[in-house]
Amino acid sequence: MATHAEAADHHHGPPIANQSSRVDSRVLGMLLFIASEVMLFGAFFTAYFFVRVVNGIAWPSEGIELPVFVAGVNTAILVTSSFTVHWALQSIKRDNRAGMQAGLVLTLALGFVFLLTQAREYSRVGFAPSDGAFGTIFYGLTGLHGAHVFVGLMLLTFATIRAFRGHYSAAHHHGVEIPGIYWHFVDVMWIVVYTTIYIL
Amino acid sequence: MSETTTAHSHAPQHSSDEPPRRRHWLLAAGWLRSFWMTGFFFLLGMGIVVGLRALGGYDPALDWEVVIVVGALTMAPLGFLSGIGAFDYWVSYAIGRPTRPEDHSSHGAYSWKDYFKVNTDHKVIGIQYVTTTIFFFLAGGLLALLVRAELARPETNYVDTQTYNELFSVHASLMIFLFIIPAFAGLANFVVPLMLGAPDMAFPRLNALSYWLLPIAGTMLLASFFFPGVGAGWTNYAPLAVDQPFGNVFFSMAVQWAGASSIMTALNFLVTIITMRAPGMTFWRMPLLVWANFTTSLLVVIATPFIAASQFLVLFDRMMHTNFFDPGDGGYVLGYQHIFWFYSHPAVYIMMLPGFGIVSEVISTFSRKPIFGYRLMALSLMAILVLGFSVWAHHMFVSGMAGYLRVPMMVTTLLIAIPTGIKVFSWLATLWEGKLHFSAPMLWALGFVTMFVIGGLSGVMLGAVPIDIHVSDTYFIVAHIHYVLLGGSLFTIFAGIYYWFPKMTGRMYDERLAKLHFWLTLVAFNATFFPMHLIGIQGMPRRVATYEPQFGDWNLFISLSSFVLGASFMIFVYNMIVSWKSGPPAPGNPWRGMTIEWLVSSPPPVFNFDEVPQVVGSPYEYGVKGARHAILNGDRATDVEPVRTP
Repeated sequence: MATHAEAADHHHGPPIANQSSRVDSRVLGMLLFIASEVMLFGAFFTAYFFVRVVNGIAWPSEGIELPVFVAGVNTAILVTSSFTVHWALQSIKRDNRAGMQAGLVLTLALGFVFLLTQAREYSRVGFAPSDGAFGTIFYGLTGLHGAHVFVGLMLLTFATIRAFRGHYSAAHHHGVEIPGIYWHFVDVMWIVVYTTIYIL
Repeated sequence: MSETTTAHSHAPQHSSDEPPRRRHWLLAAGWLRSFWMTGFFFLLGMGIVVGLRALGGYDPALDWEVVIVVGALTMAPLGFLSGIGAFDYWVSYAIGRPTRPEDHSSHGAYSWKDYFKVNTDHKVIGIQYVTTTIFFFLAGGLLALLVRAELARPETNYVDTQTYNELFSVHASLMIFLFIIPAFAGLANFVVPLMLGAPDMAFPRLNALSYWLLPIAGTMLLASFFFPGVGAGWTNYAPLAVDQPFGNVFFSMAVQWAGASSIMTALNFLVTIITMRAPGMTFWRMPLLVWANFTTSLLVVIATPFIAASQFLVLFDRMMHTNFFDPGDGGYVLGYQHIFWFYSHPAVYIMMLPGFGIVSEVISTFSRKPIFGYRLMALSLMAILVLGFSVWAHHMFVSGMAGYLRVPMMVTTLLIAIPTGIKVFSWLATLWEGKLHFSAPMLWALGFVTMFVIGGLSGVMLGAVPIDIHVSDTYFIVAHIHYVLLGGSLFTIFAGIYYWFPKMTGRMYDERLAKLHFWLTLVAFNATFFPMHLIGIQGMPRRVATYEPQFGDWNLFISLSSFVLGASFMIFVYNMIVSWKSGPPAPGNPWRGMTIEWLVSSPPPVFNFDEVPQVVGSPYEYGVKGARHAILNGDRATDVEPVRTP
């Protein structure tokens, strides 16, 4: 069986690939991933559209009051965390390691508070996912978003660990920038979810 | 990440600052570790389920159905992937260890055993993809033969009706999610970086991961026979799917794994094509195979999340008793079909566009003529991409959906025939007055054009609402889908495999066996599927194990033909195995092709090129004196003046 190695001198590295675009490949990869994430949310919003607009069910169901104010505060928390992660990125771009570390830790803390508040809301909101189409859509969309917050927090945790172990510099800050882009996406998505579920 | 782009070490790779750490044999990445980690992660998932259920006061705390979904179908595969070593680099990145992005220790195959390890070389991954998908193709084909055995006589013969439903459901799922889509991804994985003049894909480790998700998805689908329930067709319509036995979750979860695999690969292709083209390779100089994979990858990234969502929602409706599709409690029963077909219609182009690319390469090379209407060929791919998102409800003409959706969807469906027709006529014009060489890849390509036109014509018929209403859910549909997917996609996959077999393995296949394979498949294929048009129009319903005796003769004939069709693939398997082992060595450029993959040796060197090639012209200037597509470093001295063609 012929293998690729036979024809190869294996004490040899690959040639430098040509850079045919000004966009960084890692940033582009994250943007495309976010595009597919937007479509995932799109599918859940399609279900929302069918239930709320086409079927026209009562929103929220009778006898249920959504905690619009608490969720609004939670929204403010998440929006703030977008600014702190941006601060972390700007700091490391200026080689300010302490600023980067503080920004990342603050972002993690704010994201964690957001998730806890959401969990607390679940336990007190008074209905379950199986309680009619309203409960289904409410838990479906907020739960999908919560899962994304969780993933974003994981990515930020890895960045934070590396930030405290001496990685990243003004020249190499993609490890902070790329989780940051994802975090902004999670943030913007929450504003859409909050508006459609709680306010409208 | 794009490590390979920054790596430029001409020193021996194992002499970097840190010697590779020797791990205990139970902890070293490989099959042994994946074995115990699969079990360990299953127990972990089981612990999470039992713990959370006990905490939340659910009764019983140990619910086996939940344990299977979380433990066996979610956590155990993650354990397998961790064990085999797919996550090693990212784990050491995540815990803050210094990483060596230029580490190529898992690159290239030095013995057959390396094909069973996590490998970051796009050529090895391509071969892993193709062989794995052919395995699932044979498994899916066997299921089809069981279906035909059952249908040979009108009454139930060998299997009960639920088993029959599972046979055709798993057959279709395997063929679509584990064969056609990933087989194209595998061929492209091997060829696209070479065609671009890139040393590898943009994200080699992501590439490896996306391969290793496939065996997981395939195993789940096959294992579903031990947990009955995948009996709602490959479309898995809710609420029917929710009422199936518990095993239906195996379909829902297998689709998640296969879908994740295709999204990762597509993302990788897009980034590779955008950022790693060789100097001089503008978009209008890319081979059409690259164009085809570019558009396909866009489709995958945009559309696949919808099938992921549709299966999540079915899973929630079953496991958490939500009401997404339950009309009794405010859910929207047609919602599933809309969400599903918003993926699955574009998915038929995901299963066809890469084949268009392969056929464009093959027809141009074997006609010794430039492809006719190159730019229009590329633009028609884009047109299919855009139109493909506007036609999904033509699968739902009889579903009871809003009536006003019918005519617009019919119009857009028929519009798609225009870009597709442009492609067919361009191939014909390429053949016109060409110097045709009827080697096996060319035969498959010509067979494809012929069969695909038949499938396309029945597609135009089905796109018209009145005809569709008459033949919905009959064998006419079965005939149509097999003419476009078997006569279409499968024929292009064979064209691609025969075309690049010398490049992939460094050996030539047996041409006589390849031609025998082609003719036998072509005849048996038409004998199997053409009569289905007739019995379909007469009203024989699909997806039912029994039928009216009046269809008995045709069905017996179809079943017998299908066994010949099945046997014809054995010639292929034999030819591939024997030729790979002991075929005559292949020259670097057996077909006198112009694209870059033919400028390197067969098989290509482990890093593809010593130096990135320089692209100087169009990829299809066959028959134009002195025309070159690209020049490699060694050629510079004897370089001929690049010729610009009108």
